[in-house]
Amino acid sequence: MGPAPTVTIHVYGQLREYCAGASQLSVSARTVRAALEDLERSQSALYRNLCDETGKVRRHLNVFVNTDNVRDLDGIDTTLTAGDVVTILPAVSGG
Amino acid sequence: MKGADRVILTIGTKKGVFVAEAAKPRRKFELRGPFGPGVPVYSTLIDTRGTPRLYASSCNPFFGMKVLRSTNVGKGFEETKSGPAFPKDDGRALINIWSLEPGGGKKELWCGVEPASLFRSRDGGDSWEMVPGISNHEHARKWQPGNGGLCMHTIIRDGNRVHLGISTGGHYLSEDGGDTFKASNQGVGAGFAPDPYPEFGQCVHKIARHEDAPGRLYMQNHGGWADWTGPGGPRPDIGVLRSDDHGRSWRSIASGLPSDFGFPIVVHPHDADTVYVVPLEPATRSCPGGAPAVWRSENGGDSWSRLARGLPKKQSYFTILRDAMDIDHLTAPSLYFGTTTGQLWIGREGGEKWECVFDSLPPIHNVKVAVV
Repeated sequence: MGPAPTVTIHVYGQLREYCAGASQLSVSARTVRAALEDLERSQSALYRNLCDETGKVRRHLNVFVNTDNVRDLDGIDTTLTAGDVVTILPAVSGG
Repeated sequence: MKGADRVILTIGTKKGVFVAEAAKPRRKFELRGPFGPGVPVYSTLIDTRGTPRLYASSCNPFFGMKVLRSTNVGKGFEETKSGPAFPKDDGRALINIWSLEPGGGKKELWCGVEPASLFRSRDGGDSWEMVPGISNHEHARKWQPGNGGLCMHTIIRDGNRVHLGISTGGHYLSEDGGDTFKASNQGVGAGFAPDPYPEFGQCVHKIARHEDAPGRLYMQNHGGWADWTGPGGPRPDIGVLRSDDHGRSWRSIASGLPSDFGFPIVVHPHDADTVYVVPLEPATRSCPGGAPAVWRSENGGDSWSRLARGLPKKQSYFTILRDAMDIDHLTAPSLYFGTTTGQLWIGREGGEKWECVFDSLPPIHNVKVAVV
């Protein structure tokens, strides 16, 4: 098995204060789950905004790989390939 | 304004926390905020130990729970280094922060959360640890959420005694500083179960006490069950209660009120016999007849009088939530309440005369006041 592909994580504007203002982060990961695990290690403050204590992506967030919501793919086990962009956005909910 | 001249209000709303400030006569309040804008705030604390610090829970449904702290009396807030969180292997995830209270040490804070659990910080909110005596209590996985969620909304400390109010769990008492807790609900009724007096599981809405009379406690419980005709029979007047033995047993003091349903309960700062409630219609949780009123007892709940001078006389159907009423500690104290329609009211001279201070804030969850 070769090295994990490098993908880009696009950081939602409101969350950039938790990763020193970065709008994008590069991680090497084969799946969305692995990308989140990388963030847990490398960007723990950002990670806490994305996932709860149990490790689940917070209920009102949607995770996209390129333009596809991972709920229509394989959830957080969705496979990543080099150059993919992972975007995590608030769902259209709340008041 | 100089120090020690200021009355400070923290107002937790659906869209952030506001801070209002006035000189002691409380004629005009200046409003600052919102801080943590757009994010619901269910609990605030004005910590007057040493240099005043203001705290607010920032309960972001998207990005999780934060604790905000102000060291400049509400001119600005910053996030603490971390918020309370369950251990990773616990299986529970924080949904909301419902109460913030000072602890024993100068920088110690206690925090009640949803799902009902207790956390403690020893460094002013920068780090938190779960208190297992109640959070892992044998009853904890049996508690059920009330309409507002499964929340620990009341923390009262009295030396080694710690009183907790949980909706829906009931009143829990520790007599060893919070290491262990027992359900302490003798006389506390439940309306939504066949057994009217279970060991635990009551929907306690709020508990209050006077600093100088720690054995006396008042409780606003979930009332409104006088007409129930099902199993267990009617259970009138279970909504407003009093204890004279440090919360080991409770008795009704609801007789004379227009409704025993309500959320907040507040004790006069200079008289442990004077207590305030806001009766609501149980079905709608709004002001009876559309005419809001605070009710006051000056004899520990033996009788009640209606305080409504200056409040609307009709067409007002707001709700006053469990933490949305407080009273300052000045010689002639003023009451304050916030409404779900975004109004902040002041009741001067212990509630004798009411004025609307702010009339268009976001829905108000929480009001706290202190003189700093």
